[in-house]
Amino acid sequence: MSNVQNPMASHGLWLPPMQQQIFRDLLHVFSYPGRVAECTAESMTWLALLASLTDGEVSLADPHGLITADIWPKLEARPTTPDTATFILADGGRAMDFQPCTGSLESPETGATILLRVAALGEDSAGGFQLNLSGPGIQGHTELAVSGLHPSWLIARAGLVAAFPLGVDLLLCDEHRFAALPRTTRIETGEII
Amino acid sequence: MNIHYEFPLEEVGYSFGFLDEYAKKEVRRTILKAICIPGYQTPYASREMPMGRGFGTGGLQLTLALIGPDDTLKVIDQGSDDSVNAVNLRQFVQLTCPGVGVTEKLEEATLIQSRHRIPEVALTEAQVLVLQVPYPDPLVVVESSEARRKIMHAEADYSRLLVKLYEDIVHFDEITISHRYPTRINRHYVIDPSPIPRWDVPKLDQSPALILLGAGREKKIYAVPPYSVAEPLVFDDVPFRVEDFRDEHGQRRACARCGAINSFLDEYSDDNNAKIYQCSDSAYCDGQLAQHQQREVKG
Repeated sequence: MSNVQNPMASHGLWLPPMQQQIFRDLLHVFSYPGRVAECTAESMTWLALLASLTDGEVSLADPHGLITADIWPKLEARPTTPDTATFILADGGRAMDFQPCTGSLESPETGATILLRVAALGEDSAGGFQLNLSGPGIQGHTELAVSGLHPSWLIARAGLVAAFPLGVDLLLCDEHRFAALPRTTRIETGEII
Repeated sequence: MNIHYEFPLEEVGYSFGFLDEYAKKEVRRTILKAICIPGYQTPYASREMPMGRGFGTGGLQLTLALIGPDDTLKVIDQGSDDSVNAVNLRQFVQLTCPGVGVTEKLEEATLIQSRHRIPEVALTEAQVLVLQVPYPDPLVVVESSEARRKIMHAEADYSRLLVKLYEDIVHFDEITISHRYPTRINRHYVIDPSPIPRWDVPKLDQSPALILLGAGREKKIYAVPPYSVAEPLVFDDVPFRVEDFRDEHGQRRACARCGAINSFLDEYSDDNNAKIYQCSDSAYCDGQLAQHQQREVKG
């Protein structure tokens, strides 16, 4: 019924004003790695993020089958395998089981952007661990708490981003929030919380 | 631009921000990759804009991809809000982005598009600076093949650029680049920071605000993320120096209008052909002048 009262709420994420807002939040989290943004759209965070980023020009891989058949046409993206995809949506709770593209020396921007669905980010991350971050966009050091992230992702990421400018850029999202870990961010795994 | 111009029909099919949504999405994806790879010239499909390439179309496409109805935009050209390029771009945004506020005051702006200057007053985290870039690649003076330049950038091989700077020192005893000073971002890529004077180069280092650079004709977008290391390319024994505004007596020249002795000055000739100096950043100059006047009223 809520959709009838406010038709923008569920369809908003496919409309330009909402996508602009989501993009500005994306710009903020990529500029300041470790900061957590609230998702303004009333939908799953990963879906709102993908809706504001994808169109027919990009390829998208969904190795863990998170995208339902009715969503695919709306995203417009070409389905592909994780090793060639521009965007990859994956379940961060499972061990990493694919090899993403890290770009080439001439075109490092072809390195994949991986959206990782995790249990919780920020203050709700009980049972998770603390990531100590440094690098561009961070004044000194900062911390990001995350739960429901399989440790294999961080180990694999360290290898994938070791040869800058090659690498992958991570976008962590829980139900309502998201945070970015660009390839330039140095991560040290901190204490368990 | 004719300020009385109106679209032929009411609410004609221009989307908010002039660019179609596919164009905006592409620019947005490119911006995010540019932030992830600081200083890397990320290619994108630069769209035709209703103004000539070279008039800030790269900066404008960035601005239009970023802007929303909550934003307040400031447009500057060579430090001034009132020069033709700035006025044109500002009016275009007003025409195509209903609801967007415009301002000349830096502290009110959330988005700042600029040509050839970074404002005197430090930017904040709540602001994004967009710079218009005519020539994005600093290596073009030493290597004509873009394919080879891309490899040199990836390997952070700037030896030939350093040789060029060294030749300057041999000929003139100092590096003679006045603007577009090659600057290394995050200790890897060297960028052309657009034709900002040397004075503005240190402002790129550890800036709280995100700085985006757009070259429309050359179809490149690159970024200096906030709190990143930005170092002008120099030699250990020849330190980088900014413009020197001291007169023959060693006295720092002051702005003829507001009296500031800490700003970047433009040189003019008055009617008697005498040189006068004035702040290049007109909003800063206005602010200083207003402060003086307030003090005088109080005094």
